Amino acid sequence: MRKMLRYATTAGLIAVLVVFAAGCGSKKKSSSGSTGNSSSSSSSSSTGSYPGTFSSGSPAKGGTYTVGWEGSFGFTDNFDPTGEYLGNAWGLYSNLLIRSLIGYKHQPGAAGNDLVGDLATSVPTPTDGGLTYTYHLRHGVKFAPPVNREVTAQDVAYAMNRLASPNDGGEYPFYYTVIKGWDAVASGKAKTVSGISTPDKYTIVFHLTQPTGDFNRRMSMPATGPIPPEVGACFEGSKSANGAYGRDLISSGPYMIQGAAGKFTSCAALKPFSGYAGANGNHIILVRNPNYDQSTDPYRKNYINEFKFVVNSNADDIFAKVQAGQYDDEVSTPTPKTIRTYATNSSLKPRMIPNVGDRTNYLTMNLTQPPFDDIHVRKAMNYIIDKAALQKAWGGPIPGSIATHIVPPVLYNGGLAEYDPYATPNESGSVAKAAAEMKQSKYDPGHTGKCTAAACKHVLMIADTRSVDKTMVPIIQADAAKIGITFTVRSINGAYPTIQTPSKNIPIAERTSWGKDYADPYTFFAELFTSTAILKEGNTNYSLVGLKPSQVASLGVKGDTSNVPSADSQINACVTKLGQARINCWEGVDKYLMTSVVPWVPYLWPNNVFIIGPQVTHWNYDQFTDGPAYSSVSVKQ
Amino acid sequence: MTNPPEFQVSSGGAIALQAPTAIARKSPSRLFWERLRQDKAALGGGVVIVILILIGIFGGPLAASITGHGQNAVLDNQTDAYGIPLGPNSTYWFGADAAGRDLFVRVMYGARTSLFVGFVATALSMFIGIVVGLVAGFFGGIIDTLLSRLADVLLAVPQILIAVGIVAACSTTKQGCLGGLIQPGLTVVIAVITLFSWSYIARIVRGYTLSLREKEFVESARAAGASNFRILWQEILPNLVGPLIVYSTLLIPTNILFEASLSYLGLGIPDSEASWGSILSEVGTSGLYDVAWWLMLFPGAFLILTTLAFNLLGDGLRDAFDVRSER
Repeated sequence: MRKMLRYATTAGLIAVLVVFAAGCGSKKKSSSGSTGNSSSSSSSSSTGSYPGTFSSGSPAKGGTYTVGWEGSFGFTDNFDPTGEYLGNAWGLYSNLLIRSLIGYKHQPGAAGNDLVGDLATSVPTPTDGGLTYTYHLRHGVKFAPPVNREVTAQDVAYAMNRLASPNDGGEYPFYYTVIKGWDAVASGKAKTVSGISTPDKYTIVFHLTQPTGDFNRRMSMPATGPIPPEVGACFEGSKSANGAYGRDLISSGPYMIQGAAGKFTSCAALKPFSGYAGANGNHIILVRNPNYDQSTDPYRKNYINEFKFVVNSNADDIFAKVQAGQYDDEVSTPTPKTIRTYATNSSLKPRMIPNVGDRTNYLTMNLTQPPFDDIHVRKAMNYIIDKAALQKAWGGPIPGSIATHIVPPVLYNGGLAEYDPYATPNESGSVAKAAAEMKQSKYDPGHTGKCTAAACKHVLMIADTRSVDKTMVPIIQADAAKIGITFTVRSINGAYPTIQTPSKNIPIAERTSWGKDYADPYTFFAELFTSTAILKEGNTNYSLVGLKPSQVASLGVKGDTSNVPSADSQINACVTKLGQARINCWEGVDKYLMTSVVPWVPYLWPNNVFIIGPQVTHWNYDQFTDGPAYSSVSVKQ
Repeated sequence: MTNPPEFQVSSGGAIALQAPTAIARKSPSRLFWERLRQDKAALGGGVVIVILILIGIFGGPLAASITGHGQNAVLDNQTDAYGIPLGPNSTYWFGADAAGRDLFVRVMYGARTSLFVGFVATALSMFIGIVVGLVAGFFGGIIDTLLSRLADVLLAVPQILIAVGIVAACSTTKQGCLGGLIQPGLTVVIAVITLFSWSYIARIVRGYTLSLREKEFVESARAAGASNFRILWQEILPNLVGPLIVYSTLLIPTNILFEASLSYLGLGIPDSEASWGSILSEVGTSGLYDVAWWLMLFPGAFLILTTLAFNLLGDGLRDAFDVRSER
């Protein structure tokens, strides 16, 4: 009897727990009580453009701006700007810490991609047939403590040499190989790049080996920002390992890492600044740079006194804290649940701000692996995938618009907006169109419209384990099954290293996404589709477009490598062009890839959706960094 | 007052001594069954297990046939404009999951996965545990030391962490691990669960064997010239059947929960093969728990019911085997 009683009690408790847990579903979060006099941005236009701003009253100086950062900072080089390739870190650099020669207005939309002189007085026009770029530096721009002196051209040259050095962790030096003498430093044969000269402390000149239409844009990237050699010398060679300089980053911008103080005397005396706990820690605190002179900077407003970037492992908690006003902003991805909450609540809606992300999400197909070594199968995949369902998996139209080709139209200044070579009704996929394509494939010898060959069964697909991946994978599987392709799915938490290793011979991957480095399609095509971008590890040309026979053995690629299409010549033809001719050229490359190579199934041009807290009085998007324009935000006083 | 029937008094007053009535002899199995059938909770658990097994065998295909939805069929109209799944309705009795699949069908198929993993992993664990425990307990010495320490090591390691590592390592390629012996998916999950489960059984079997090997019937068998294998197989092992049945019924739900834990962490069973743990995992990773309660309720309820049923049956079996236990 006692035992029966015990069981009954246990069962009762379990039932109560289940019902309680289920009952949580009906509970709604309380309103944040946002102000009524706000103007915002969350309404989308049919073209997919967004204002990207929020304003409620006049912004005022002061206050602390707290940002919840999901999971971990995820820095690629521990915040050392030479090697840091994380977009969210660039948001801090460009707005708050680093003044590169060329900068941006920190605005949303096309205006946010317009180049302006930041450390330089203006954006130079190239001379010498496009081979020489001369930058004149502003006077009075000073480094933060402990350096405390004026920024000079030599500091920029030092940063460039550091970027060229193979020992200092640079992650995108390939953008600068057009500078004369770069390769000599990269190969260890020289210490300094011969094509960089500094005739005086306010002038720096770059001599190129070939005209490069987007060179000014390349000089806007954070790794090109000034680094004081006296501090940089403390972090050279082996001492630069693991991005050690990131903990002692010397700011040239309006803010600096908390704890930077005093006067630099020696490397031994230089300790990590207290406001940085980024590598394995949980916060970064930035405070005002006392040496900053606002008169040297027309593009940053700098309302906030202190920025706190706080790691939080729970996305739900981040959004709850933003809604409650404990955080002002977030570095996370709102889930469909959060998007619905804000989209359907009139008081919350203004504080959800979607912004064009200059990014493409896509399925990548390996051109060497069956059945995707057949272009007709790749085309059939483009026809069969229900892009509308995948869009919904991300939360519907607010998180992004359906992608129909490789580079988002915003990077073509609106070009190719209507280009859709694999259009289907409502973008929901078409069995008829896919079957018509599949009938031409060698893997459908009976011309049934379905892949009947063994190569189409249990094809390995690599996916990630995020919530959205788990939602997308069944959709992709169900769609592909309609044309006879079945997948063996391997879901890996952090799938990129596997996808980026050609010797794994992954036929198809679901996780892939690419965003611009700067507003030029070159930053898509160069890294994603050129044969020189194919690497043994860390490869980003996942489809192996342009794979050469000479590369096959060293990469460990197996499969049909005899006839892999290339886009090298098409891409190289665009590099030297300028202006609209350049854009037209890139559009041609996009079309060529989509129709003659077909390495992807592009499905979404994601928006960056930000949720801001009730204390925020002004916010706008920074189109260059694809994140908040921290230099323009303000909070209630 | 009446006398017992053996001592009936005759009409003349003489006491006639009758032949004693034979006490009905009860076999151990009959005693076991009589004790078990008095335990209504255990019997209830047993009935539920039988039903769950039937669901595991027939439930998935039957549910798919009734509803017309396969376990991986995606219907776009079962998510709202923001991609949030819709709740239970006349077509989708348990509601839909985030991809728009029928949760009822997936929960039914999930029974098959969960029970399959539970039974197979337990069977393998029992087999390894019995062999190791018998050998260690019977032979003793260095063999016992080596095998016991091996079991101790496995008991000491952080199981979930190691399991996560193994599953992750074996799931990055299509071929799996150990030259294809351990395939990603069900087999790797079963292998991992077995790896960490057999040591419990081995310790129990070793303990019993250490005790039994000193018993008279073992001595007599040895004196009669029985081989070690014969003694282990015919004298010791039969005496372990009772405890092993009890432990296996308790190990099955533990292993089902282990599978659910691995699936909850996003490891092991691929999403295309529904399991209760993987469905619950979706709730956790998507944060849908407060807007799609059905994703948590139905697989969670089945998981709890299964665990409870096996535990009730296991407790009942233990009591039925153990004559000293309190009723």
